[in-house]
Amino acid sequence: MPDLGPLVPSILLTVAALAVLLTDLLGRGRRPVVPAVLAIAGFVTAGLVAWGQAPDTAVVFGVLRADAFGLAMTVFCCLVGALTVVATMRGEAFRTPGGEYLLLILAAVLGMIILSMSVDLVTLYLAFETVSIPSYVLVGMRRSDLKANEASMKYVLFGAVSSAAMLYGLSLLVGLVGSTSLDALSVAMTNGIGAQPIFWVACVLMAAGFAFKISAVPFHFWAPDVYAGAPAAVGGFLAVASKAAGFAALIRVVAAVVPGQVAQATGAGWLPDGPFLLQVVGVLAILSMTFGNAAALRQTEIKRLLAWSSIAHAGYILLAITVWSDSTLAGLVLYLVAYLFMNLAAFAIAGMVIRRQGSGEMSAFRGLARRNVWLAVALAIVMFSLTGLPPFFGFVGKLQLFYGVFAKGYIALGVLGLLNGVVSLYYYMRVVTAMFPFSEQEGEEAATAWRLPLADKLLSAGLVAPVVLFGLFWSPLWEWAKAVTESVIGG
Amino acid sequence: MLSLTIFLPVVGLLLCWALPAKHARAINVVTNVAVLVLVLMVWGGMQGMETLQHVEKADWIPAVGIQWHIAVDGLSLSLLLLTAFVSLTAAIASWGIEKNPRGYHMLFLLLLTGMLGVFVAMDLFLFYVFWEIMLLPMYFLIGMWGGPRRQYASIKFFLYTLAGSVLLLAGLILVRMGANTWSIPEIVAMAKSGQSILPEGVNPSLVFVAMFIGFAVKVPTFPFHTWLPDAHVEAPTPISMILAGVLLKMGGYGLMRIAYPFFPEAAAGWSTAIAIISVIAIVYGAFVALAQTDFKKMIAYSSVSHMGFVTLGLAAGTAEAINGAMYMMLAHGTISAMLFMIVGVIYDRAHHRDIDRFGGLAWAMPKYFLLASFAFFASLGLPGLSGFIAEMTTFIGTFKSDSQRWAAWASLAGIVMTAAYYLITLQKVYLGKTPAVYQDKSHYPDLSKREAAVLVPLALVTLWMGIWPATAMNLYAYFTTNLESLLKAATVGLGS
Repeated sequence: MPDLGPLVPSILLTVAALAVLLTDLLGRGRRPVVPAVLAIAGFVTAGLVAWGQAPDTAVVFGVLRADAFGLAMTVFCCLVGALTVVATMRGEAFRTPGGEYLLLILAAVLGMIILSMSVDLVTLYLAFETVSIPSYVLVGMRRSDLKANEASMKYVLFGAVSSAAMLYGLSLLVGLVGSTSLDALSVAMTNGIGAQPIFWVACVLMAAGFAFKISAVPFHFWAPDVYAGAPAAVGGFLAVASKAAGFAALIRVVAAVVPGQVAQATGAGWLPDGPFLLQVVGVLAILSMTFGNAAALRQTEIKRLLAWSSIAHAGYILLAITVWSDSTLAGLVLYLVAYLFMNLAAFAIAGMVIRRQGSGEMSAFRGLARRNVWLAVALAIVMFSLTGLPPFFGFVGKLQLFYGVFAKGYIALGVLGLLNGVVSLYYYMRVVTAMFPFSEQEGEEAATAWRLPLADKLLSAGLVAPVVLFGLFWSPLWEWAKAVTESVIGG
Repeated sequence: MLSLTIFLPVVGLLLCWALPAKHARAINVVTNVAVLVLVLMVWGGMQGMETLQHVEKADWIPAVGIQWHIAVDGLSLSLLLLTAFVSLTAAIASWGIEKNPRGYHMLFLLLLTGMLGVFVAMDLFLFYVFWEIMLLPMYFLIGMWGGPRRQYASIKFFLYTLAGSVLLLAGLILVRMGANTWSIPEIVAMAKSGQSILPEGVNPSLVFVAMFIGFAVKVPTFPFHTWLPDAHVEAPTPISMILAGVLLKMGGYGLMRIAYPFFPEAAAGWSTAIAIISVIAIVYGAFVALAQTDFKKMIAYSSVSHMGFVTLGLAAGTAEAINGAMYMMLAHGTISAMLFMIVGVIYDRAHHRDIDRFGGLAWAMPKYFLLASFAFFASLGLPGLSGFIAEMTTFIGTFKSDSQRWAAWASLAGIVMTAAYYLITLQKVYLGKTPAVYQDKSHYPDLSKREAAVLVPLALVTLWMGIWPATAMNLYAYFTTNLESLLKAATVGLGS
């Protein structure tokens, strides 16, 4: 009987999911407050247990590894899960079948945890689907909403095709290696399977699956529709947690395929000469950040804008994987944490506005500074941070990530990424100019002041405060990020 | 004491927030006075100008070696004095802001913190943070309190400067990697002793160009200047004063403090190219200014033209030329603040800025006319005023330089055109027959006490700097000779 210690967080979430199901059955018809509290408690305890757990590089049941990286991702996903539930307690997602909604969030997070710990291709695929299926349902939960239905349908179709492609890629890989274990894969890599054309095909097919999950161009088409069709908090959940888990799994696979560090860049420093998988990731990165930002320029609806922005951010994060060094990976983890607070804050505040205005168009944000100046300032800070301006957290994440990219000699790639940040300024500032009186057209409707409920105040303050604080003091967080990623890249 | 100086505006900002909005403008002025007093105290407490003093050092982000490291030497001090002084006059000029005064004055004070911080930061990262922090209040101040096209002007300003900053950031990251420190003085010392401050295989020449562009956008040097006319025209008067008086100087300061001492060889190698764009800025800026009918736009282009002398002086690389470049920054800081105030005064009365629609204001508003012509003559380089000293020193220095002597001749055309557009404007706006509308004292009163309180101190400083340039030049004299010898050594290195 192996040590079950590493599995405790997952077990706790499963228990919480069952408890939610049970209490929801008992309290049918009422607002599911008790199940919500249970779900939050489940996330918090699971997160705390994972936080306190000693990392262990041993493989449990031959399929899972609760090392520092896996535990960090567990904490991360539990945090997002808890915050998402908090953010939706006032929203309409909660009024429709609230119990099921909580259950789906719990199940998806459970899948994410397994995904980020799995070191076996079959488990990885199963966890992948455990994340995907609840996500499809979450998007389509508002059954009477046509947009939500359409989004859900698109999501399912794209998801089915890309996970089929991924499964095919995985099967090729298993055929080559003769085992489903990632450790076996890394041994096989040293025996030279990387040179076989079939391996390249497997890499491209696998990349398609991951690219879908993290919404990288050209597998991103679902994202704007899905984020726009889903309730804002669910959009935030998918943009943050689902993506992060996809990145974690991709990092696991890359760690097996790529032996140790990648060589210093030669020449202009666009793409690595090295492993084919990284070149594929590099192309995805360049496409994602460039097209994500370019398409975001034309958006006028906040959730669509954030969707395209999250595609661009996926591009920045993929850069870190392309360059594949200790420092870019630590930068990636830091960036993910920054990304968590910025995006959850953006989606949460967008949700508060949409709930009152009934629309997420830029016109709904007009005059927000008059209605509630704190909400406007908070959203402006988030927008500045997403652009990557100091002294906010987004800048710090970018700085550390790009520092690693430059350190490896990928100067052209780094400069391209930084210039993309300049492009993104334009559309993020569109939100800011809408909220503050940058133009005269308002005044016909005297903006009435909004009184925010305490929960909204706490939520927005709680999400924006880290964006400011970690932007000014991030030393401990950086040490933590380095420690977390230490074991990922072999020597 | 330096930290106190930098963060005093933040205290003021919090007071603005806590107290009723009607007090905001008073808090702003009082804070600015206090900052000026503190800067003067910093000056009083300095022994010599060459070494870094009032040093404050503490670990900020120990994990990556970033420090809270601030200090002043003569170079910083001269610009600190300019900042505190121009900011105070702009704060007085802001007295009449009626639209959301609380927000305005809070942002104004935040801007002041950023500006002061840039000039004292001795840690590259800290420098960059202050450099960027300024953008946020500036963006809002132009965008919310500006003229009709403010939305366009503010985003253009933001995009241009951010694009420059990003190139600067790339350069700073590479320097940090090569030198393994964020400390500006340490990196300068390493560069001076011939150690490489870049990672292996990185071309210093390209890094210099990236940094140069980053700073040149702020200067602004041709062809990166196009944001400036828009931003200036749309910004409210006090913000234009700050923009021209202080913000543009940050570009020059960055070149002098960072780009040139870090990469003297690359700077020497690019000197002809820099001289060419400087001459274009001087001459082209003057010609474009001549063609303007919008009073404010004319002043804005005159800034482009004058700031060309800053880069020209650096390109020439002699001690006199660098001295002139630095003096131009200080002189232009006060003169351009005056000029924008002068435009603001007439705009408040006439509600338009069309040069061709004015005329004969001299007799209607004699005090105003006196100060306006004073500022015009100071800007076109009348002997006895600070602009003359700046241009003259840069010229002499450029003539002394063997390689860039041509640039001095070429930029003469700019000087002639400068005289032309100022004299023509003077004639069109102030001279000639006074129309009856201007006789109406209720609509066209002469300078108010508050307006005079903005203009007169600026004029006095301009006059003093024209009569006794040593006061300011002594502050940074050491710097010009140091940079000259650094560039000379680099040029010799290039030849061999």
